[in-house]
Amino acid sequence: MKDISKSIKKTDSNEKISGSATYVADIKLDGMLHAVSLRSSIAKGKIKEIHFPEIPEDYYIVSHKDIPGKNIVKIIFEDQKIFPVHTITYRYEPILLVVGPDKQKVVDIINQTKIEYIEETPVFDWVNSAIDYHFEKGIGLEAFKGADKVIKYDYETNYQEQAYIEPQGFIGYPEGDKVTLIGSIQCPYYVKNAVIQALNATPENVRVIQPSIGGAFGGKEEFPSLIACQLAVAVNKIKKPIQLLYERDEDMNCTTKRHPAKIHFEAAIKQNEIQGIKVYTAIDAGANIGLSGVVLSRALIACTGVYTIDNLDVSGDVFITNTVPNGAFRGFGAPQMFFAVEMFMEHIALDLNQDVLSFKRKYLAKQNDKTSTNGIFRDPVIMPKMIDKAMKVSDYIKKREAYNNESVYKGIGMSLFFHGCGFTGSGEKDIIKAKVKLRKEMNGDVSILVAAVDMGQGIRTTLRKVVANILEIPIEKVIFDFPDTDKVPDSGPTVASRTMMIVGGLIARACIEMKERWIEPAFTVTKQYKQPSYIEYDEASFYGDAYPAYSWGVNIVEVEVDKATYQVNLVNAWSVYDCGKAIDERIVLGQADGGLTQGLSYGYLEVMNHDKGVIKQKNMTDYIIPTAKDMCKMETIIYDNPYAFGPYGAKGVGELTLIGGAPAVCLAIEQAISRRIHKIPATPEYIMELVNHG
Amino acid sequence: MVKSYVPETLKETLELLDKGKYQIVAGGTDMLIQNHARSPLPINYKNDIIYISNLEELKGITEDDDFIYIGACTSLEEIMEHKLTPKLLKDTILEMASPAIRHTGTLAGNIGNASPAGDSLVTLYLLNADVQLQSLNNTRRMCIRDFITGVRKIDLKPNEIITKVIINKINFDKAEFIKVGPRRSDAISKLSFAYGITFHNNQTIDFRIAFGAVNTTVVRHPEIECQYIRKTKEELKESIEEIITAYRPFIKPIDDQRSNKAYRRQVCENLLREFILEL
Amino acid sequence: MAKIKLRVNGKPVFLDTDYNRRLLDVLREDLELKGPKEGCGEGECGACAVLLDHQVVNSCCVPLANCIGKDIVTIEGYAMTSRYKILKEAFEEEGAVQCGFCTPGMMIAAESLLNKNPNPTDEEIKIGLSGNLCRCTGYNMIIKAIKRAAKAGEGIW
Repeated sequence: MKDISKSIKKTDSNEKISGSATYVADIKLDGMLHAVSLRSSIAKGKIKEIHFPEIPEDYYIVSHKDIPGKNIVKIIFEDQKIFPVHTITYRYEPILLVVGPDKQKVVDIINQTKIEYIEETPVFDWVNSAIDYHFEKGIGLEAFKGADKVIKYDYETNYQEQAYIEPQGFIGYPEGDKVTLIGSIQCPYYVKNAVIQALNATPENVRVIQPSIGGAFGGKEEFPSLIACQLAVAVNKIKKPIQLLYERDEDMNCTTKRHPAKIHFEAAIKQNEIQGIKVYTAIDAGANIGLSGVVLSRALIACTGVYTIDNLDVSGDVFITNTVPNGAFRGFGAPQMFFAVEMFMEHIALDLNQDVLSFKRKYLAKQNDKTSTNGIFRDPVIMPKMIDKAMKVSDYIKKREAYNNESVYKGIGMSLFFHGCGFTGSGEKDIIKAKVKLRKEMNGDVSILVAAVDMGQGIRTTLRKVVANILEIPIEKVIFDFPDTDKVPDSGPTVASRTMMIVGGLIARACIEMKERWIEPAFTVTKQYKQPSYIEYDEASFYGDAYPAYSWGVNIVEVEVDKATYQVNLVNAWSVYDCGKAIDERIVLGQADGGLTQGLSYGYLEVMNHDKGVIKQKNMTDYIIPTAKDMCKMETIIYDNPYAFGPYGAKGVGELTLIGGAPAVCLAIEQAISRRIHKIPATPEYIMELVNHG
Repeated sequence: MVKSYVPETLKETLELLDKGKYQIVAGGTDMLIQNHARSPLPINYKNDIIYISNLEELKGITEDDDFIYIGACTSLEEIMEHKLTPKLLKDTILEMASPAIRHTGTLAGNIGNASPAGDSLVTLYLLNADVQLQSLNNTRRMCIRDFITGVRKIDLKPNEIITKVIINKINFDKAEFIKVGPRRSDAISKLSFAYGITFHNNQTIDFRIAFGAVNTTVVRHPEIECQYIRKTKEELKESIEEIITAYRPFIKPIDDQRSNKAYRRQVCENLLREFILEL
Repeated sequence: MAKIKLRVNGKPVFLDTDYNRRLLDVLREDLELKGPKEGCGEGECGACAVLLDHQVVNSCCVPLANCIGKDIVTIEGYAMTSRYKILKEAFEEEGAVQCGFCTPGMMIAAESLLNKNPNPTDEEIKIGLSGNLCRCTGYNMIIKAIKRAAKAGEGIW
């Protein structure tokens, strides 16, 4: 059998290149109305009264009064209203929809509607904790007792905007009592379940369909459920097809972003050895909790990076502020923590006058070591080999030495990192309970029936490839239509780098059964997720195996810093990854390039902040993502290290590739300017401050 | 609803302008963004509009012995590729926006827009460019420094349009435009810097400096420049701190979503210092 | 309202509409050409790119009034050409497509570049693509695709 990693043409590139792929804004239905959100102009307060202009016939106001079910967007943590009743918690919060046939008139109604508020003082400081976590490993803080010294540093990360090129949007239409929604989404069943609760509907009466998705990166994980619920309420009320498409500034002002974080590290040192680490992490959830608790726990679990530290005291808070809610973004808490821990390990080594790499290697986790949560790294850890390779291809040692000359303003930095694959803890087993179906058709075609969404990462190609390879049939015989909840079971959301490992794993098992029964003319095989029996995790105490498997990575980045302008120029980047087994090499390389690009620019380029709750970079002109001119050559090497429960040994890959970018580029900048970096993004403005102040 | 016109000749345009109040749109790249409505609604202009991009009379580049004349509707890309265009202006245009914008945007539009961050303005100030303004009964020529009066403010009468940008034919020994943007292309400047310098018998005979995006309009001060004429490179290098000090009062940047005052100020000084040190 | 004549994808088009509409909206709403996408609405992302007299422009920044008598080519029209086939195959071979939302615009920008410069260097390709944002790929594979196309299509541009 041929190597599954050998690349094939992506099955959807033809329709995408020719412009015939259908994204949500490309769909037009007869008689479709336009919906536009009316948004709050204050960050905190109460709505006293809303004064509407005269509403013409065929135009509608849709608000909380029209919600037949529960006025809550069903996410993990249920604290977000579909439409606010009185209370406003952030600027640009969507208060109601105006719907009608002529978009200009809809906009006019929005502009003529006046809201009287009773304003309250908004909270932007991180003072209102909604969730706090704490756990220990080994002897915890006891480890600090006999220390020679304690090394302490603080690290800060800011917002990052997903900046998918396709803004968020949905269309919805009624069929009798049934509401159908088509939207730019990662998780058809999140949307369906949220809408069922909003409409108090039966599952048969809510249908969700995915069209082509123009990028998501976590930004279309939980946020679309809010738009979908609002639109579903409108469709349910008006009984006509309606379109609700976000403008770019609307998307940037009020959809979720990566959580800003403040991370405080302390290390107890005795005879140049780390005795224990204490870490405290605060993240800004914005106006509601949403997924923030889960984001914080992933960050906390990653607190020792790729290193084994025996004694830990780990804590953190989720703070609520009157700002735009933050949420899922590729990496989900890990990019913040890996930036901090990689910088911290480097800073400890420098403080102790130790060679950084030898110091890091000394603590590198090995197979059977205990994780930060007392789980076990069960699979082989091949990081030493990966580090060697990365150093060799980048000529790291020679460059590192040459760039120690302060006058050259060049630097090379290396980051080491992993990503826990799939959901944290028992989410997969207790909440998602993924189910997949594989159906053999009468003509011998095989249909993949899952809710996994292709948002560019290539799952429409790779899942088909898995099926074709196992069943030994041509890939043209494998059908994988866009998910439609009327046709596919809930195989879980397309998040957490779980899709190939978990959903693909189930599909692979279904294939094996199908192959045995191939002689039967037409039949369906169903598989449901079962946690490997050795995986045990206690959410409350953060004890046990937080993840079934880990993907690992090494990034090396070379930069130049301009002496006059402090601008960073990327020169070269190298990556080595262990993602189990690449189902399609070129697709993994594409994830590697794209993930690293986002990670690097998170580290030095992408600036977003708010002023009194208003995002200052609210369009693509002001929010800077890299252009082709900003990027350097990226070379990626993939190592096989198969995981027993992934198809062909595959583990997660999508998020992994983002995580090492920020620390690698910052470590390179540190060398170039001979200063220490404690926050990202390391903008020219910040680099100037560092250079000025020594 | 606003009215819009697409005249076929310059004369027709000037006649319209003589009778009513209009906003002129050339390439539209700035005007469409400034007046963006929710898609797919028509552009949300505040005034009646005259579109001039079809006026062939305003296209193309010509020269005489002393000057280059750039028609107001010549695209930035065409200017960039034209053999008559001075290298400094070509280099400047290459730093502006992206190919798609350069194919439709115009130099006259960048002037008319009078944004403090307009990149071409820095170079046009440095080159002592003039604009030709035309109304039905009058044609006048004005130095760009006098034409731009403030942030998005120009000395254009309601019945006039910009018909030409006029550039002195001048050769520097060394000239450069440096854009400091938030990324390497397709971005609005945090600040920009341009210089032009010429020596004769080892002494300066021309010494020009301009800064962009650090004041309401481009910073250029001939009264400072003239103090550094007939200087050798060494003398200039000895005067570095004095030159920087002379410009300091005019570098008055703001904090905004793209950068901050301290950075803009210091980088202006760094670039000025680097330019002189590397002579 | 005004009567406007232009050519779109090689065919004459007569419209009776408002000068003040964006070319993008006319293409998508009136002519059902959905290949050009709206990503940012302000000329930054290039997802709406089309060829106007053989040069790439952002159709979200072009008023219809500026298209009178002009020759517009969208990805749908470009897809009928032999140049397209070469570029398309190169994009597929190099894995230059992920979510696909920027791809039609990238193809148009690439055509505009190759039309002027059939044998571009990496740096010239980067300049040619500098107005087309892609959030998925990090651009390397797109740059490689354009190099591959330039080579495979030698003499055709």
